[in-house]
Amino acid sequence: MKNLDALRHFYQRDLLGELQRLEQQRLDVAKKLTLAIVVTLVLAGGVVLVFGRQFFANPMLLLFPVVVGVIIVAGLAKYFSRGYVSDFKSKIIARIVGFIDESLAYRADAHMSLAEFQGCRLFNRRPDRFRGDDWVGGKVDATTIEFSEIHAEYKTESRDSKGRRRTHWHTIFKGLFFRADFNKNFSGSTVVLPDTAERLFGGLGKWLQSVNFTRGDLIKLEDPDFEREFAVYGDDQVEARYILSTSLMRRILEFKQRTGKRIYLSFVRSCVYVAVPYTKDLFEPRLFRTLLDFEPIQEYFRDLQLAIGIVEDLNLNTRVWTKV
Amino acid sequence: MGIWIAIGVAILILVIIPVVMYNSLVGKKNQVANVFGTIDAMLKKRYDLIPNLVATAQQYMEHERGTLTEITALRAKAIKPDLADDEKVAIDNRLRGMLGGIMVAVENYPQLKANENFLHLQRSLNEVEEQISAARRAYNASVTDYNNAVEMFPTNIMASMMAYKEKRLFEITDKERENVDVASLFKK
Repeated sequence: MKNLDALRHFYQRDLLGELQRLEQQRLDVAKKLTLAIVVTLVLAGGVVLVFGRQFFANPMLLLFPVVVGVIIVAGLAKYFSRGYVSDFKSKIIARIVGFIDESLAYRADAHMSLAEFQGCRLFNRRPDRFRGDDWVGGKVDATTIEFSEIHAEYKTESRDSKGRRRTHWHTIFKGLFFRADFNKNFSGSTVVLPDTAERLFGGLGKWLQSVNFTRGDLIKLEDPDFEREFAVYGDDQVEARYILSTSLMRRILEFKQRTGKRIYLSFVRSCVYVAVPYTKDLFEPRLFRTLLDFEPIQEYFRDLQLAIGIVEDLNLNTRVWTKV
Repeated sequence: MGIWIAIGVAILILVIIPVVMYNSLVGKKNQVANVFGTIDAMLKKRYDLIPNLVATAQQYMEHERGTLTEITALRAKAIKPDLADDEKVAIDNRLRGMLGGIMVAVENYPQLKANENFLHLQRSLNEVEEQISAARRAYNASVTDYNNAVEMFPTNIMASMMAYKEKRLFEITDKERENVDVASLFKK
Protein backbone atom coordinates (compact mmCIF):
# COMPACT_ATOMS: atom_id res chain seq x y z
CA MET A 1 0.00 0.00 0.00
CA LYS A 2 1.18 3.50 -0.87
CA ASN A 3 1.79 5.84 2.05
CA LEU A 4 1.46 9.58 2.50
CA ASP A 5 5.12 10.32 1.83
CA ALA A 6 4.92 8.56 -1.51
CA LEU A 7 1.79 10.55 -2.29
CA ARG A 8 3.46 13.83 -1.39
CA HIS A 9 6.36 12.99 -3.66
CA PHE A 10 3.95 12.03 -6.48
CA TYR A 11 2.03 15.27 -5.94
CA GLN A 12 5.18 17.38 -6.25
CA ARG A 13 6.55 15.55 -9.25
CA ASP A 14 3.52 14.54 -11.34
CA LEU A 15 0.46 16.50 -10.28
CA LEU A 16 1.58 20.01 -9.47
CA GLY A 17 2.22 21.12 -13.05
CA GLU A 18 -1.17 19.91 -14.19
CA LEU A 19 -2.86 21.40 -11.13
CA GLN A 20 -1.38 24.82 -11.93
CA ARG A 21 -2.90 24.69 -15.42
CA LEU A 22 -6.25 23.60 -13.98
CA GLU A 23 -6.09 26.32 -11.35
CA GLN A 24 -6.14 28.89 -14.16
CA GLN A 25 -9.24 27.19 -15.60
CA ARG A 26 -10.85 27.16 -12.17
CA LEU A 27 -10.27 30.89 -11.70
CA ASP A 28 -11.95 31.58 -15.07
CA VAL A 29 -14.98 29.48 -14.18
CA ALA A 30 -15.22 31.02 -10.72
CA LYS A 31 -15.04 34.54 -12.21
CA LYS A 32 -17.83 33.82 -14.72
CA LEU A 33 -19.97 32.23 -12.06
CA THR A 34 -19.49 35.10 -9.59
CA LEU A 35 -20.57 37.48 -12.34
CA ALA A 36 -23.62 35.34 -13.07
CA ILE A 37 -24.59 35.31 -9.39
CA VAL A 38 -24.27 39.09 -9.12
CA VAL A 39 -26.37 39.64 -12.28
CA THR A 40 -29.04 37.20 -11.07
CA LEU A 41 -29.18 38.90 -7.67
CA VAL A 42 -29.57 42.31 -9.28
CA LEU A 43 -32.31 41.06 -11.59
CA ALA A 44 -34.17 39.38 -8.73
CA GLY A 45 -33.82 42.55 -6.65
CA GLY A 46 -35.24 44.56 -9.59
CA VAL A 47 -38.26 42.26 -9.88
CA VAL A 48 -38.97 42.60 -6.17
CA LEU A 49 -38.70 46.40 -6.37
CA VAL A 50 -40.98 46.73 -9.42
CA PHE A 51 -43.67 44.42 -8.04
CA GLY A 52 -43.10 45.58 -4.46
CA ARG A 53 -46.77 46.03 -3.64
CA GLN A 54 -47.83 42.55 -4.70
CA PHE A 55 -45.01 40.97 -2.69
CA PHE A 56 -46.00 43.02 0.33
CA ALA A 57 -49.59 41.78 0.04
CA ASN A 58 -48.59 38.18 -0.43
CA PRO A 59 -45.10 37.42 0.98
CA MET A 60 -45.31 33.82 -0.28
CA LEU A 61 -44.73 35.17 -3.79
CA LEU A 62 -41.17 36.08 -2.73
CA LEU A 63 -40.35 32.41 -3.06
CA PHE A 64 -40.78 32.69 -6.81
CA PRO A 65 -37.76 34.92 -7.66
CA VAL A 66 -35.64 33.01 -5.15
CA VAL A 67 -36.42 29.62 -6.72
CA VAL A 68 -35.94 30.87 -10.27
CA GLY A 69 -32.65 32.52 -9.27
CA VAL A 70 -31.32 29.34 -7.67
CA ILE A 71 -32.28 27.26 -10.73
CA ILE A 72 -30.56 29.71 -13.10
CA VAL A 73 -27.36 29.85 -11.04
CA ALA A 74 -27.23 26.05 -10.64
CA GLY A 75 -27.71 25.56 -14.37
CA LEU A 76 -25.01 28.11 -15.20
CA ALA A 77 -22.63 26.56 -12.66
CA LYS A 78 -23.02 23.19 -14.34
CA TYR A 79 -22.61 24.71 -17.81
CA PHE A 80 -19.52 26.79 -16.99
CA SER A 81 -17.70 24.09 -15.06
CA ARG A 82 -18.35 21.21 -17.46
CA GLY A 83 -15.03 21.31 -19.27
CA TYR A 84 -13.18 22.09 -16.08
CA VAL A 85 -14.66 19.13 -14.19
CA SER A 86 -13.99 16.63 -16.97
CA ASP A 87 -10.44 17.93 -17.43
CA PHE A 88 -9.84 17.67 -13.73
CA LYS A 89 -11.12 14.10 -13.55
CA SER A 90 -9.25 12.81 -16.57
CA LYS A 91 -6.01 14.46 -15.53
CA ILE A 92 -5.97 14.32 -11.74
CA ILE A 93 -8.30 11.58 -10.48
CA ALA A 94 -7.23 9.18 -13.24
CA ARG A 95 -3.59 9.72 -12.27
CA ILE A 96 -4.22 9.17 -8.58
CA VAL A 97 -5.97 5.89 -9.43
CA GLY A 98 -2.95 4.87 -11.51
CA PHE A 99 -0.64 5.87 -8.68
CA ILE A 100 -2.45 3.55 -6.24
CA ASP A 101 -2.52 0.62 -8.67
CA GLU A 102 -1.32 0.79 -12.26
CA SER A 103 -3.52 -2.04 -13.46
CA LEU A 104 -6.75 -0.21 -12.61
CA ALA A 105 -8.76 1.74 -15.18
CA TYR A 106 -10.76 4.90 -14.46
CA ARG A 107 -13.79 6.24 -16.33
CA ALA A 108 -15.24 9.52 -15.09
CA ASP A 109 -18.72 9.15 -16.57
CA ALA A 110 -19.32 5.42 -16.11
CA HIS A 111 -20.81 3.79 -13.02
CA MET A 112 -21.78 0.41 -11.55
CA SER A 113 -24.85 -1.04 -13.24
CA LEU A 114 -28.35 -1.07 -11.82
CA ALA A 115 -28.41 -4.86 -12.19
CA GLU A 116 -25.32 -5.10 -10.00
CA PHE A 117 -26.91 -2.80 -7.41
CA GLN A 118 -30.12 -4.80 -7.26
CA GLY A 119 -28.32 -8.13 -7.40
CA CYS A 120 -26.34 -7.37 -4.25
CA ARG A 121 -29.48 -7.73 -2.10
CA LEU A 122 -28.41 -5.03 0.32
CA PHE A 123 -31.23 -2.63 -0.49
CA ASN A 124 -34.67 -4.13 -0.93
CA ARG A 125 -36.34 -1.11 -2.45
CA ARG A 126 -36.29 -0.77 -6.24
CA PRO A 127 -34.75 2.58 -7.28
CA ASP A 128 -36.72 4.90 -9.60
CA ARG A 129 -33.68 7.01 -10.33
CA PHE A 130 -30.18 5.58 -10.45
CA ARG A 131 -27.15 7.75 -11.14
CA GLY A 132 -23.43 7.63 -10.57
CA ASP A 133 -19.98 8.41 -11.88
CA ASP A 134 -16.26 7.85 -11.23
CA TRP A 135 -16.00 4.18 -12.11
CA VAL A 136 -12.78 2.31 -11.29
CA GLY A 137 -12.16 -1.28 -12.27
CA GLY A 138 -9.51 -3.88 -12.94
CA LYS A 139 -7.48 -6.50 -11.20
CA VAL A 140 -5.59 -6.14 -7.93
CA ASP A 141 -3.29 -9.19 -8.12
CA ALA A 142 -5.67 -12.14 -8.31
CA THR A 143 -8.83 -10.25 -7.43
CA THR A 144 -11.09 -8.53 -9.95
CA ILE A 145 -12.70 -5.40 -8.52
CA GLU A 146 -14.89 -2.52 -9.61
CA PHE A 147 -16.51 0.37 -7.80
CA SER A 148 -18.06 3.75 -8.41
CA GLU A 149 -20.03 6.48 -6.78
CA ILE A 150 -23.75 5.69 -6.80
CA HIS A 151 -26.89 7.61 -5.95
CA ALA A 152 -30.07 5.51 -5.90
CA GLU A 153 -33.42 7.09 -5.12
CA TYR A 154 -37.10 6.15 -5.06
CA LYS A 155 -39.99 8.55 -5.47
CA THR A 156 -43.27 9.08 -3.71
CA GLU A 157 -46.13 11.28 -4.82
CA SER A 158 -48.42 13.33 -2.70
CA ARG A 159 -51.12 15.92 -3.25
CA ASP A 160 -51.09 19.22 -1.47
CA SER A 161 -54.16 21.09 -0.18
CA LYS A 162 -54.87 22.51 -3.63
CA GLY A 163 -54.81 19.08 -5.24
CA ARG A 164 -51.51 19.62 -7.05
CA ARG A 165 -49.38 16.57 -7.44
CA ARG A 166 -45.89 16.66 -5.91
CA THR A 167 -43.03 14.25 -6.43
CA HIS A 168 -40.60 13.63 -3.57
CA TRP A 169 -37.28 11.89 -4.04
CA HIS A 170 -35.83 9.80 -1.21
CA THR A 171 -32.33 8.44 -1.11
CA ILE A 172 -31.95 4.67 -0.86
CA PHE A 173 -28.18 4.80 -0.99
CA LYS A 174 -25.56 7.41 -1.81
CA GLY A 175 -21.88 6.72 -1.63
CA LEU A 176 -19.26 4.21 -2.73
CA PHE A 177 -20.50 0.94 -4.14
CA PHE A 178 -17.86 -1.77 -4.50
CA ARG A 179 -17.79 -5.30 -5.92
CA ALA A 180 -14.95 -7.83 -5.84
CA ASP A 181 -14.59 -11.41 -6.78
CA PHE A 182 -14.49 -13.37 -3.47
CA ASN A 183 -11.80 -15.97 -2.80
CA LYS A 184 -14.19 -18.80 -1.92
CA ASN A 185 -16.97 -20.34 -4.00
CA PHE A 186 -20.50 -20.26 -2.67
CA SER A 187 -24.00 -20.43 -4.07
CA GLY A 188 -26.31 -18.73 -1.58
CA SER A 189 -26.44 -15.18 -0.33
CA THR A 190 -25.33 -13.68 2.97
CA VAL A 191 -25.97 -10.08 3.97
CA VAL A 192 -24.11 -8.13 6.67
CA LEU A 193 -25.95 -4.99 7.81
CA PRO A 194 -25.09 -2.35 10.40
CA ASP A 195 -26.87 -3.35 13.57
CA THR A 196 -29.11 -0.68 14.99
CA ALA A 197 -31.71 -2.80 16.78
CA GLU A 198 -29.29 -4.71 18.95
CA ARG A 199 -27.33 -1.66 20.01
CA LEU A 200 -30.49 0.20 21.00
CA PHE A 201 -32.54 -2.58 22.54
CA GLY A 202 -30.03 -5.32 23.48
CA GLY A 203 -31.61 -8.77 23.76
CA LEU A 204 -34.99 -7.50 22.63
CA GLY A 205 -33.28 -6.14 19.51
CA LYS A 206 -31.90 -9.57 18.79
CA TRP A 207 -35.39 -11.00 19.00
CA LEU A 208 -36.70 -8.26 16.68
CA GLN A 209 -33.98 -9.15 14.17
CA SER A 210 -34.89 -12.82 14.25
CA VAL A 211 -38.47 -12.06 13.20
CA ASN A 212 -37.37 -9.91 10.25
CA PHE A 213 -38.95 -11.93 7.44
CA THR A 214 -37.70 -9.95 4.45
CA ARG A 215 -34.08 -10.95 4.90
CA GLY A 216 -33.88 -14.71 5.42
CA ASP A 217 -32.54 -16.42 8.54
CA LEU A 218 -30.73 -14.45 11.19
CA ILE A 219 -27.22 -15.86 11.57
CA LYS A 220 -25.94 -15.58 15.13
CA LEU A 221 -22.17 -15.50 15.09
CA GLU A 222 -19.87 -16.18 17.98
CA ASP A 223 -17.79 -13.00 17.94
CA PRO A 224 -19.51 -10.66 20.43
CA ASP A 225 -17.84 -7.49 19.08
CA PHE A 226 -18.96 -8.35 15.58
CA GLU A 227 -22.48 -9.11 16.77
CA ARG A 228 -22.70 -5.72 18.45
CA GLU A 229 -21.88 -3.92 15.21
CA PHE A 230 -23.59 -6.06 12.58
CA ALA A 231 -26.68 -8.14 11.94
CA VAL A 232 -26.14 -11.03 9.53
CA TYR A 233 -28.86 -12.68 7.44
CA GLY A 234 -28.48 -15.55 5.02
CA ASP A 235 -30.16 -18.48 3.41
CA ASP A 236 -27.67 -21.07 4.65
CA GLN A 237 -26.37 -21.19 8.24
CA VAL A 238 -23.29 -23.22 7.36
CA GLU A 239 -22.39 -21.32 4.21
CA ALA A 240 -22.65 -17.99 6.02
CA ARG A 241 -20.06 -19.24 8.50
CA TYR A 242 -17.93 -20.65 5.71
CA ILE A 243 -17.77 -17.13 4.25
CA LEU A 244 -17.56 -15.25 7.54
CA SER A 245 -14.64 -17.10 9.06
CA THR A 246 -13.49 -15.89 12.46
CA SER A 247 -10.60 -14.02 10.85
CA LEU A 248 -12.83 -12.33 8.25
CA MET A 249 -15.14 -11.10 11.01
CA ARG A 250 -12.14 -9.49 12.71
CA ARG A 251 -11.03 -7.92 9.43
CA ILE A 252 -14.48 -6.48 8.75
CA LEU A 253 -14.58 -5.02 12.25
CA GLU A 254 -11.17 -3.40 11.79
CA PHE A 255 -12.22 -2.03 8.41
CA LYS A 256 -15.33 -0.55 9.96
CA GLN A 257 -13.40 1.03 12.81
CA ARG A 258 -10.78 2.50 10.50
CA THR A 259 -13.33 4.08 8.18
CA GLY A 260 -15.58 5.20 11.02
CA LYS A 261 -18.64 4.73 8.79
CA ARG A 262 -21.67 2.48 8.64
CA ILE A 263 -20.79 -0.23 6.18
CA TYR A 264 -22.97 -2.74 4.35
CA LEU A 265 -21.59 -6.00 2.97
CA SER A 266 -23.13 -8.82 1.02
CA PHE A 267 -21.86 -12.08 -0.38
CA VAL A 268 -23.76 -13.20 -3.47
CA ARG A 269 -22.77 -15.57 -6.30
CA SER A 270 -19.13 -15.83 -5.15
CA CYS A 271 -18.75 -12.03 -5.09
CA VAL A 272 -18.47 -9.61 -2.21
CA TYR A 273 -20.30 -6.27 -2.36
CA VAL A 274 -19.42 -3.39 -0.05
CA ALA A 275 -21.48 -0.21 0.23
CA VAL A 276 -20.09 2.76 2.16
CA PRO A 277 -22.48 5.71 2.49
CA TYR A 278 -21.13 9.24 1.97
CA THR A 279 -23.00 12.52 2.26
CA LYS A 280 -20.50 14.47 0.15
CA ASP A 281 -20.04 14.10 -3.61
CA LEU A 282 -16.90 12.07 -4.16
CA PHE A 283 -14.00 12.96 -6.45
CA GLU A 284 -15.39 16.38 -7.46
CA PRO A 285 -13.01 19.35 -7.89
CA ARG A 286 -13.36 22.44 -5.75
CA LEU A 287 -14.61 25.59 -7.41
CA PHE A 288 -14.25 28.41 -4.91
CA ARG A 289 -11.04 27.32 -3.21
CA THR A 290 -7.58 26.79 -4.62
CA LEU A 291 -6.67 23.46 -6.18
CA LEU A 292 -3.03 23.76 -5.31
CA ASP A 293 -3.29 22.59 -1.70
CA PHE A 294 -2.10 19.12 -0.85
CA GLU A 295 -5.06 18.56 1.45
CA PRO A 296 -7.81 17.91 -1.19
CA ILE A 297 -5.45 15.59 -3.09
CA GLN A 298 -4.96 13.69 0.13
CA GLU A 299 -8.74 13.41 0.49
CA TYR A 300 -9.22 11.98 -3.03
CA PHE A 301 -6.40 9.57 -2.31
CA ARG A 302 -7.94 8.49 0.98
CA ASP A 303 -11.38 7.85 -0.53
CA LEU A 304 -9.92 5.87 -3.44
CA GLN A 305 -7.56 3.96 -1.19
CA LEU A 306 -10.45 3.01 1.09
CA ALA A 307 -12.16 1.23 -1.80
CA ILE A 308 -9.08 -0.28 -3.47
CA GLY A 309 -7.71 -1.28 -0.06
CA ILE A 310 -10.73 -3.51 0.60
CA VAL A 311 -8.91 -6.27 -1.30
CA GLU A 312 -6.12 -6.19 1.23
CA ASP A 313 -8.36 -5.46 4.21
CA LEU A 314 -10.52 -8.52 3.56
CA ASN A 315 -7.54 -10.61 2.47
CA LEU A 316 -9.12 -11.42 -0.90
CA ASN A 317 -5.81 -12.25 -2.56
CA THR A 318 -5.29 -15.30 -0.37
CA ARG A 319 -6.23 -18.05 -2.79
CA VAL A 320 -5.70 -21.32 -0.96
CA TRP A 321 -9.12 -22.72 -1.84
CA THR A 322 -10.27 -24.24 -5.14
CA LYS A 323 -11.19 -20.82 -6.54
CA VAL A 324 -8.17 -19.27 -8.27
CA MET B 1 -72.08 -12.57 28.10
CA GLY B 2 -68.87 -10.58 28.61
CA ILE B 3 -67.57 -12.97 31.18
CA TRP B 4 -67.94 -15.93 28.82
CA ILE B 5 -65.89 -14.14 26.16
CA ALA B 6 -63.18 -13.40 28.74
CA ILE B 7 -63.09 -17.03 29.82
CA GLY B 8 -62.98 -18.16 26.19
CA VAL B 9 -60.02 -15.88 25.44
CA ALA B 10 -58.21 -17.04 28.58
CA ILE B 11 -58.61 -20.68 27.60
CA LEU B 12 -57.45 -19.95 24.07
CA ILE B 13 -54.31 -18.26 25.41
CA LEU B 14 -53.67 -21.14 27.79
CA VAL B 15 -53.82 -23.51 24.83
CA ILE B 16 -51.82 -21.38 22.39
CA ILE B 17 -48.84 -20.66 24.65
CA PRO B 18 -47.92 -24.32 25.26
CA VAL B 19 -48.37 -25.08 21.56
CA VAL B 20 -45.97 -22.28 20.60
CA MET B 21 -43.42 -23.38 23.21
CA TYR B 22 -43.70 -27.01 22.14
CA ASN B 23 -43.23 -26.19 18.49
CA SER B 24 -40.28 -23.91 19.07
CA LEU B 25 -38.53 -26.57 21.15
CA VAL B 26 -39.09 -29.23 18.50
CA GLY B 27 -37.88 -26.77 15.83
CA LYS B 28 -34.68 -26.10 17.76
CA LYS B 29 -34.02 -29.79 18.32
CA ASN B 30 -34.46 -30.53 14.64
CA GLN B 31 -32.20 -27.63 13.71
CA VAL B 32 -29.43 -29.22 15.80
CA ALA B 33 -29.95 -32.58 14.09
CA ASN B 34 -30.01 -30.88 10.70
CA VAL B 35 -26.70 -29.10 11.22
CA PHE B 36 -25.13 -32.26 12.60
CA GLY B 37 -26.14 -33.87 9.33
CA THR B 38 -24.27 -31.12 7.48
CA ILE B 39 -21.10 -31.84 9.44
CA ASP B 40 -21.48 -35.47 8.41
CA ALA B 41 -21.82 -34.48 4.77
CA MET B 42 -18.71 -32.31 4.96
CA LEU B 43 -16.74 -35.07 6.67
CA LYS B 44 -17.77 -37.42 3.89
CA LYS B 45 -16.48 -34.92 1.37
CA ARG B 46 -13.14 -35.00 3.13
CA TYR B 47 -13.08 -38.81 3.19
CA ASP B 48 -13.73 -38.82 -0.55
CA LEU B 49 -10.61 -36.77 -1.10
CA ILE B 50 -8.32 -38.99 0.93
CA PRO B 51 -7.75 -41.96 -1.47
CA ASN B 52 -6.61 -39.64 -4.26
CA LEU B 53 -4.45 -37.64 -1.93
CA VAL B 54 -2.74 -40.72 -0.55
CA ALA B 55 -2.23 -42.18 -4.01
CA THR B 56 -0.55 -39.01 -5.26
CA ALA B 57 1.51 -38.39 -2.15
CA GLN B 58 2.78 -41.97 -1.96
CA GLN B 59 4.72 -41.63 -5.19
CA TYR B 60 6.94 -38.97 -3.65
CA MET B 61 6.85 -39.18 0.13
CA GLU B 62 9.16 -42.00 1.15
CA HIS B 63 9.45 -41.21 4.84
CA GLU B 64 5.74 -40.81 5.43
CA ARG B 65 4.60 -44.17 4.12
CA GLY B 66 3.54 -45.28 7.61
CA THR B 67 1.41 -42.22 8.22
CA LEU B 68 -0.23 -42.52 4.81
CA THR B 69 -1.15 -46.15 5.44
CA GLU B 70 -2.61 -45.16 8.78
CA ILE B 71 -4.66 -42.40 7.17
CA THR B 72 -6.10 -44.91 4.72
CA ALA B 73 -6.97 -47.27 7.56
CA LEU B 74 -8.66 -44.50 9.56
CA ARG B 75 -10.67 -43.46 6.54
CA ALA B 76 -11.89 -47.04 6.06
CA LYS B 77 -13.02 -47.00 9.69
CA ALA B 78 -14.69 -43.62 9.38
CA ILE B 79 -16.95 -44.49 6.48
CA LYS B 80 -18.49 -47.50 8.21
CA PRO B 81 -22.21 -46.77 8.51
CA ASP B 82 -22.95 -47.84 12.11
CA LEU B 83 -20.56 -45.50 13.90
CA ALA B 84 -21.54 -43.76 17.13
CA ASP B 85 -21.28 -39.96 17.15
CA ASP B 86 -18.49 -39.96 19.75
CA GLU B 87 -16.40 -42.38 17.71
CA LYS B 88 -16.99 -40.32 14.60
CA VAL B 89 -15.65 -37.24 16.33
CA ALA B 90 -12.63 -39.09 17.71
CA ILE B 91 -11.63 -40.50 14.31
CA ASP B 92 -12.19 -37.13 12.69
CA ASN B 93 -9.89 -35.47 15.20
CA ARG B 94 -7.08 -37.97 14.59
CA LEU B 95 -7.43 -37.74 10.84
CA ARG B 96 -7.28 -33.99 10.92
CA GLY B 97 -4.06 -34.02 12.91
CA MET B 98 -2.42 -36.47 10.53
CA LEU B 99 -3.52 -34.66 7.39
CA GLY B 100 -2.20 -31.43 8.86
CA GLY B 101 1.13 -33.14 9.45
CA ILE B 102 1.29 -34.40 5.87
CA MET B 103 0.60 -30.92 4.53
CA VAL B 104 3.51 -29.54 6.52
CA ALA B 105 5.83 -32.37 5.45
CA VAL B 106 5.06 -31.60 1.80
CA GLU B 107 7.48 -28.69 2.13
CA ASN B 108 10.35 -31.24 1.97
CA TYR B 109 9.24 -32.56 -1.41
CA PRO B 110 9.59 -29.91 -4.09
CA GLN B 111 8.51 -32.34 -6.81
CA LEU B 112 5.26 -33.09 -5.01
CA LYS B 113 4.69 -29.39 -4.41
CA ALA B 114 4.94 -28.82 -8.14
CA ASN B 115 2.47 -31.58 -8.99
CA GLU B 116 -0.72 -30.02 -10.46
CA ASN B 117 -2.93 -32.83 -9.28
CA PHE B 118 -1.59 -32.60 -5.77
CA LEU B 119 -1.96 -28.82 -5.65
CA HIS B 120 -5.59 -29.17 -6.59
CA LEU B 121 -6.13 -31.78 -3.91
CA GLN B 122 -4.46 -29.56 -1.37
CA ARG B 123 -6.77 -26.68 -2.27
CA SER B 124 -9.80 -28.94 -2.06
CA LEU B 125 -8.69 -30.18 1.31
CA ASN B 126 -8.25 -26.60 2.59
CA GLU B 127 -11.74 -25.84 1.38
CA VAL B 128 -13.26 -28.87 3.05
CA GLU B 129 -11.48 -28.09 6.32
CA GLU B 130 -12.88 -24.56 6.23
CA GLN B 131 -16.36 -25.92 5.49
CA ILE B 132 -16.12 -28.43 8.32
CA SER B 133 -15.10 -25.70 10.71
CA ALA B 134 -18.05 -23.57 9.51
CA ALA B 135 -20.41 -26.49 10.03
CA ARG B 136 -19.05 -27.03 13.54
CA ARG B 137 -19.61 -23.37 14.36
CA ALA B 138 -23.14 -23.59 12.98
CA TYR B 139 -23.69 -26.70 15.10
CA ASN B 140 -22.48 -24.93 18.24
CA ALA B 141 -24.74 -21.95 17.51
CA SER B 142 -27.81 -24.15 17.12
CA VAL B 143 -26.92 -26.18 20.23
CA THR B 144 -26.59 -22.93 22.21
CA ASP B 145 -29.99 -21.86 20.93
CA TYR B 146 -31.47 -25.20 21.92
CA ASN B 147 -29.78 -25.27 25.33
CA ASN B 148 -30.98 -21.75 26.10
CA ALA B 149 -34.54 -22.84 25.41
CA VAL B 150 -34.14 -25.97 27.54
CA GLU B 151 -32.73 -24.07 30.51
CA MET B 152 -34.56 -20.76 30.42
CA PHE B 153 -37.93 -20.02 31.94
CA PRO B 154 -40.69 -20.68 30.86
CA THR B 155 -39.66 -23.08 28.06
CA ASN B 156 -37.69 -25.16 30.58
CA ILE B 157 -40.96 -26.42 32.11
CA MET B 158 -42.16 -27.64 28.75
CA ALA B 159 -38.70 -29.06 27.97
CA SER B 160 -38.61 -31.12 31.16
CA MET B 161 -42.08 -32.47 30.37
CA MET B 162 -40.82 -33.48 26.93
CA ALA B 163 -37.68 -35.00 28.54
CA TYR B 164 -35.38 -32.75 26.46
CA LYS B 165 -31.87 -32.60 27.85
CA GLU B 166 -29.03 -30.20 27.21
CA LYS B 167 -26.72 -31.13 24.35
CA ARG B 168 -22.95 -30.86 24.35
CA LEU B 169 -21.05 -28.36 22.24
CA PHE B 170 -18.31 -29.40 19.85
CA GLU B 171 -15.18 -28.71 21.81
CA ILE B 172 -11.58 -28.84 20.82
CA THR B 173 -9.85 -31.67 22.63
CA ASP B 174 -6.88 -30.89 24.85
CA LYS B 175 -4.65 -32.66 22.41
CA GLU B 176 -5.76 -30.40 19.59
CA ARG B 177 -5.14 -27.27 21.63
CA GLU B 178 -1.44 -28.04 21.61
CA ASN B 179 0.49 -27.20 18.52
CA VAL B 180 0.75 -30.06 16.10
CA ASP B 181 4.01 -31.84 16.77
CA VAL B 182 4.92 -32.73 13.24
CA ALA B 183 8.22 -34.40 14.03
CA SER B 184 6.65 -36.99 16.33
CA LEU B 185 4.01 -37.75 13.72
CA PHE B 186 6.64 -38.99 11.31
CA LYS B 187 9.05 -40.74 13.63
CA LYS B 188 6.98 -43.88 13.71
